[in-house]
Amino acid sequence: MKKIVVAAICVMALTACETQQTLYSWYDSEDATYTYTKRGTEETLAKAMAQYELVINKQKALRKVAPPGVNAEYGYLLCKAGKKEEGLALLRAEIKAYPESETFISRIINQLEK
Amino acid sequence: MKKIFIFAMMALLLSSCAEQITRLERYPKMYEEKPLTIAVMPPINQTNFVEAKDYFYTTLYAPLCEKGYYVYSPMMTMEMFQTESAYDAEPFIEADLSQFRNVLGADAAMFTIIKSWSRNKLGGSLTAGVEYILRSTKTGETLYQREGQITVDTSINSGSGGLFGALLDMAATAVNTAATDKVVAGRQCTVFVLSDMPVGKYSPSYDKDQKMAAGAKFVKATVR
Repeated sequence: MKKIVVAAICVMALTACETQQTLYSWYDSEDATYTYTKRGTEETLAKAMAQYELVINKQKALRKVAPPGVNAEYGYLLCKAGKKEEGLALLRAEIKAYPESETFISRIINQLEK
Repeated sequence: MKKIFIFAMMALLLSSCAEQITRLERYPKMYEEKPLTIAVMPPINQTNFVEAKDYFYTTLYAPLCEKGYYVYSPMMTMEMFQTESAYDAEPFIEADLSQFRNVLGADAAMFTIIKSWSRNKLGGSLTAGVEYILRSTKTGETLYQREGQITVDTSINSGSGGLFGALLDMAATAVNTAATDKVVAGRQCTVFVLSDMPVGKYSPSYDKDQKMAAGAKFVKATVR
């Protein structure tokens, strides 16, 4: 009996650890975008873009999808950098992944398409 | 003997429950309204350290996403706030928030008030006092409110494991990268204080955390 209890506690403890995971993989994206917004140079922009690529394409965390806002942010920056088609596609991807973002993102898309 | 043991365990369980207040009891409106989309408002800075506002603004986004909410990109909303002259959140903290619902589609707005910000250069630590207020854009009511005074040791990683540790470590990795430790400290403060906030739609515990414990309204802690 005692052994079963001990075993049960061990299992509980182990499963408790297993389920604790982040929802998204962030890499260094936040710091890269922060640095870019503070110092908008070619170099900081390139670094931020590399981080967006990672976050969008290499999600290893629980949800396996890019976090809210990331597709949109990257798309917005690409549009500003002259890559309009690629950027707009990402903005539309944001709405597809997160329909609740439509009010805001479609407003941005309209502004960019003008 | 066995019976006494069981009674003792039950007494322990009951007494520990009695002192705790659940998330449903403390934040009932979160479960009533079930906000999904959150707009992060520019922090209200009550300290003399002018830069705290900027440092703190970006630190709210990832922790709120990790709670399971849809959070609007602060980089994109900031531009909008600046053109709409809403970069100062003070006039909005008690005002009608329906415009954020109309323009963004936001269910709720997260206000933060930075009350203190001090640095201990010798010890490599930073203490931030911040109040977090989540208000509904529908009813204007406060859905969540908590204040923390968090001292963050900016010199080492947490190494504490689990989700909380992972989040703190995620925040701490930035020490080695371009961002300053002030951003890291702000993020750790947010992760710590919001740890008892009911989770949103994208979290596996969504709508299952009503009985989990809520923390004290004011929390003071040191995070390593």
